[in-house]
Amino acid sequence: MIRAEDVVAEYVAWLTDFLPDDYYHRYREYRWDLGLRRDHQRAAFEAGWLQPTWPREHGGRSLGLREAMEVRLEAAIRSAPKLPNIAGPNVAGPGIRQFGTPEQIDRLLVPLLRGDEWWALGMSEPEAGSDFAGLRTRAVRDGDLFRVKGRKIWTTQAHLSRWCTLYARTDPDAPKHRGISCLILDLESPGVTIEPIRMASISDETFCEVILDDVEVPVANLLGPCNGGWQVALSSLNHERQMIWIMNWVEIQRGLDSVRGSETAHDDYASGEVFTELGALLADAEALRATGYRSLYNELAGRPSPEADILKLLGSLTLQRVWELAAAASGPRSIDDADLLFERQDALAATIYGGTSEIQRNIIAERLLGLPKG
Amino acid sequence: MDVGLNSGQLALRDSVRDVLRAECPPGVARHAMTDPERWRTLWKTVVDLGWAELAVPADGGDGSFGRVDLAVVLEECGAAIAPVPLLSSIGLAGGVLRVAGPAVDEVLEAIGGGVVAALAAHPPGCRLPGVPMTLQNGRLHGRAVAVTGLPRAELIVTLASSADGPVAAVVRVGDGVSVQAVECTDPAQPVADVEIDTAPVVTAPVDMESALATPLLAVAADLVGVADAALARSIEHAKARQQFGKPIGAFQGIKHALADNYVAVERARSLTYAAAARIDDPATSPSAGWTAAALAKAAAAEAAVGCARTGVQVHGALGQTWEHDMHLYLRHAWQGASTLGDSRALYHAVGRRVAGGAA
Repeated sequence: MIRAEDVVAEYVAWLTDFLPDDYYHRYREYRWDLGLRRDHQRAAFEAGWLQPTWPREHGGRSLGLREAMEVRLEAAIRSAPKLPNIAGPNVAGPGIRQFGTPEQIDRLLVPLLRGDEWWALGMSEPEAGSDFAGLRTRAVRDGDLFRVKGRKIWTTQAHLSRWCTLYARTDPDAPKHRGISCLILDLESPGVTIEPIRMASISDETFCEVILDDVEVPVANLLGPCNGGWQVALSSLNHERQMIWIMNWVEIQRGLDSVRGSETAHDDYASGEVFTELGALLADAEALRATGYRSLYNELAGRPSPEADILKLLGSLTLQRVWELAAAASGPRSIDDADLLFERQDALAATIYGGTSEIQRNIIAERLLGLPKG
Repeated sequence: MDVGLNSGQLALRDSVRDVLRAECPPGVARHAMTDPERWRTLWKTVVDLGWAELAVPADGGDGSFGRVDLAVVLEECGAAIAPVPLLSSIGLAGGVLRVAGPAVDEVLEAIGGGVVAALAAHPPGCRLPGVPMTLQNGRLHGRAVAVTGLPRAELIVTLASSADGPVAAVVRVGDGVSVQAVECTDPAQPVADVEIDTAPVVTAPVDMESALATPLLAVAADLVGVADAALARSIEHAKARQQFGKPIGAFQGIKHALADNYVAVERARSLTYAAAARIDDPATSPSAGWTAAALAKAAAAEAAVGCARTGVQVHGALGQTWEHDMHLYLRHAWQGASTLGDSRALYHAVGRRVAGGAA
């Protein structure tokens, strides 16, 4: 039997060997080092640590869910270099693996996992944000082509990506979430215009606007069934959902370390005042981890795991409170701390992406508690 | 680390739930508020079913009767707001004795057999639990406030300072023990103050953090149950009550408040199950066990009070009445919230430890 401790030990040995000697010392710089992050992704793919539950040829080592979670947690605890294009391996990749034809998998998956080809998620539109199913981009069948017209926005890293999972309306007469298909769009196709949008923060996950003017997409690039795009979107995002709490948990730990290490921590006022909030945040962080384990335990036992639906909401809100406390605890020094400014801005995105907190509350209330739709 | 209930614990939960559904609808708590003897018939059922035996720790390595089992049963009793001294006996008093060594085995056996015990751990004027008594020349002396279950108890477990460090001490209610009845937020779970000046039945040295960890966990479990039950009542009402032509649960003002309640309940439940498993693990340090239990208790009190307060709001004027059950949950939640440390005091204590590098 594979023991999780052994797997984690092997992973740690691999990671330690990969990272430069001064990685932790200079983490503030390395976290923006795209070259290092690309190298890390490729090496993780080759060593089977990128998607640990997947088979060897797809960047994994066929681990069980429990062992895979321990590896991911360890990666996060050790601040392993962040994937430069999360949408590829963590959203588009699982979608292609689940819904792709053998030809699509064969052509697309390995370059995606190695990071040689980046991916964008063509979901939001100017008029379709939380109401994703209300999207208007049209794909009209024309022989063995779809002709696509429309506009996508907040499309992260589209300007650096080769491919896009493009959600478009293929049946305007069907109820709105049953008329959507997912198309694999080559962003180099004629008729595609990509405009990056300047971010408020120094984030390198730049938004883009993607304008689609009569773009031809081969029917062979349909991902999943025609008009089955809603299911492709849900399944792809679900994979990501399981990762989000781990990322949030570790970022919370980093925030808590920053609170503990702040220069004013020994100031009489600060030291007394921040403790209560610090304790509450420690409870949130531990609850996140315990709930993650609880839902995994239920899943492995073949039971429903409704508690997993709190992870996104609790994790993202806690992350924001952690960095606000870190700012309060560092007093006026918070003003000239560029890293802290970025953390605070970045935390505000966490209650938006992957389904806003308001949508999360609707999901909990309607799906779990059985309250009627508004 | 596994967090959650295995199939045996789920079966235990369901059997306890079924019994309480039949024997203890919420009206029983209301009745117990005005009839001081009402608890006895239910208590007899509880003892006959062997639930009090959970006070005695498991001796085998098969994991039966660990703290997760204890938490499961107390959670169900909390959900039923059962007006019995089970929390007081096996969770609070028994929780301290669990870590007091073989000297107290007989007392634990007695509690397991249905003798009611209470834990005196609140020194006057303190928000956090502590050491209210002193042990000197074989006599126990001191005063404790807000002792849950004391009006129904035969035995008192307390914590005392002695020349050799902290001890757990057991006294029998009687001569040298003055029980002072007080007004209770939740008369279905009466509390009292106590003044002690007598020779204890038995004493045993304890580590303070280990001694308080299981009691904190036990209150957490009880309050998770209260929170869950109060939320269930609010959901039921939000689906049924119509205003402006639709159920009020369709409005986001209500819907989101209840979703936030759900997050609070599951947050507390995860912390509680995780703390139970952690304290059961012999590799856990006393300090880590206390921290886990303290956070669970703080979170559970927030969940219980939050769900009950939202419940009053969701029920509107109905929630203000004696006949509606919501005030029963609210009273139980408020009382439990101040037992063994209110949430802010516990968060503060944990935050200070962690900032100081102690945990």
